[in-house]
Amino acid sequence: MHEKHLMICGATGCLSSGSHLVEEALIEELEKHGIKDKYRLVMGGCPGFCEVGPIIVVYPDEVFYCRLKPKDMAELVEKHLIGGEIVERLLYKGPDVDAPARFYDTIPFYAKQKFNVLRNSGIIDPESIDEYIMRGGYRAFTRALDLDPPAICEEVKQAGLRGRGGAGFSTGLKWEFTNKAPGSKKYVVCNADEGDPGAFMDRSILEGDPHAILEGMLICGRAIGANEGYIYCRAEYPLAIKRLKLAIEKAEAYGLLGENILGYGFNFKINIKEGAGAFVCGEETALLASIEGKRGMPRPRPPFPAQSGLFGKPTTINNVETLANIPLIVREGGADDFVKVGTEGSKGTKVFALAGKIRNTGLCEVPMGITIKEIIYDVGGGIKSGREFKAVQAGGPSGGCIPNELIDLPIDYDSLNQAGAIMGSGGLVVMDERTCMVDLARYFLSFTQKESCGKCTPCREGTKRMLEILNRISEGYGEPKDLETLDSLAISIKDSSLCGLGQTCPNPVLSTIRYFRKEYEEHIDEHFCRAGVCKELFNYRIDEEKCTGCTACVKACPTDAIRGEKKEPHEIIQELCTRCGSCVEKCRQECIMITPLGSEADVSN
Amino acid sequence: MEKFIDHCCEKCTHTKENPCKDFVRCCVEGPICHENVACAKKRKAIIEKVALNEQFVIC
Repeated sequence: MHEKHLMICGATGCLSSGSHLVEEALIEELEKHGIKDKYRLVMGGCPGFCEVGPIIVVYPDEVFYCRLKPKDMAELVEKHLIGGEIVERLLYKGPDVDAPARFYDTIPFYAKQKFNVLRNSGIIDPESIDEYIMRGGYRAFTRALDLDPPAICEEVKQAGLRGRGGAGFSTGLKWEFTNKAPGSKKYVVCNADEGDPGAFMDRSILEGDPHAILEGMLICGRAIGANEGYIYCRAEYPLAIKRLKLAIEKAEAYGLLGENILGYGFNFKINIKEGAGAFVCGEETALLASIEGKRGMPRPRPPFPAQSGLFGKPTTINNVETLANIPLIVREGGADDFVKVGTEGSKGTKVFALAGKIRNTGLCEVPMGITIKEIIYDVGGGIKSGREFKAVQAGGPSGGCIPNELIDLPIDYDSLNQAGAIMGSGGLVVMDERTCMVDLARYFLSFTQKESCGKCTPCREGTKRMLEILNRISEGYGEPKDLETLDSLAISIKDSSLCGLGQTCPNPVLSTIRYFRKEYEEHIDEHFCRAGVCKELFNYRIDEEKCTGCTACVKACPTDAIRGEKKEPHEIIQELCTRCGSCVEKCRQECIMITPLGSEADVSN
Repeated sequence: MEKFIDHCCEKCTHTKENPCKDFVRCCVEGPICHENVACAKKRKAIIEKVALNEQFVIC
């Protein structure tokens, strides 16, 4: 028996900030004291709070240590593990807590979260099937084997689960269509081609709880009458793929995958197909083409995959998070519990990846219906550097921008659609007043333009033309008619593109024009970028009254564009300034202003 | 018995070739097909080795 369990975050985020080095140092310390066998170390899944990684949670004490470095391990071992005393300096500290916080119940980041999908992440060893079974794993599948397939579809329908990958279609209904489609060979496909910039929800689920996905696929297979499944996962997720492969091997060894599973005469095998990273392969028909070995390009629908999908056979395609919800719904009494959380039209929880100018970056799982304000301020801890919240981009490059005025908007499928955004896969990129909305629209459109597969003209050519206009506006060559042209092009592309990528890619442009029209007009009419992002459209100037002559900006400037004596106000030589912003980052007095070209007035607010 | 797939005694016959319908429930609550304190202890020992707290096991 182990005296304590040390769950180290072994997900990609914490690994990149050195959790493997922390693990090595911890092992070394334990060996040095000859106590290694008393403790169990697990490189587990992601506890979500990436901002403060690497993280170790010590059980059963339930102490949450964060921002760890290898050199901290000596103190952690000597003081906590040997001495039984909590190491206060390694606990969570932040502006949202009065005193160092010890665990989930005292860290504000976790206070409003509800763990359904992430129920096992950071709690179990993702490479152990036994631990998944201890947490109730494969019980729902065993129950599904006793149910008639239409009854399983009905339960999923009753639960009100909607696809977590983008469009939010009813999962139970999707299963029912495939169940009713004629044919003896059918497929289940797990869409793990997570491609939105800043999104890593699916990766964390796959890395932290791979058996939940296998169980979801098995239940789906039973419900629709399929005996084979594919997981389409991008090759950029090597840890997720490694853990999936291991999970499949173990499930096969336990008789939970393969022939005559648990003696019910049900057969099911799962294959992994590694994708090459094309964004369009997240679109279901392009994904199917890619699995078939063809170029990843969408095709017109109908026929829908439920009628004619992979290799021309009826196919259900579900996203990772959707499948991770299935075991919770199909377990005894699960559907009844599931509907208790969420809103009338959007049941359950949603995992979001918080990125951008937010204090607490990371993953959070919250009940549907929570407001944007609660996510940003209560979970996310507010805006970095105390700046003002300006907007949030919801749903990745296919989503839309929601402004500060709508901060009380409840997050569910329908409210987001009404606001011009989409739930998408769950990326939330938060922006402050130093984000230029024209530049933001340009960034997302350049992403979708590069990722356009080129098959249909509206998306291939239309996005190019839109991008040209946005580039011109950002460089100071915008014309008054540009906004009308952008609007008209966007609507044409939405109406006539072949697939979901084309139909949604103008959303960032449309939503930023809708909510930030004045900012576009300022770029076009006054050649001014108030946020200080479009380099051709502003100058930096030093406020002589505020400047103390500390010389921090002089040292930071890479082009020697700042002059002035120590303790005397400085000046920026405009001809030399490249507007890189290094001086702004260093100035403690905040005396560097963003001004229109040729003006000395501070109009940055 | 170090893993759930290991047989607790000769009475357990679950393999992937000869599957038992109660296998998953048996892992945590077993043995189901026979009564034996020692077999139950073997399962409990696997759980106790990794359970983080009292709420860890979900039946």
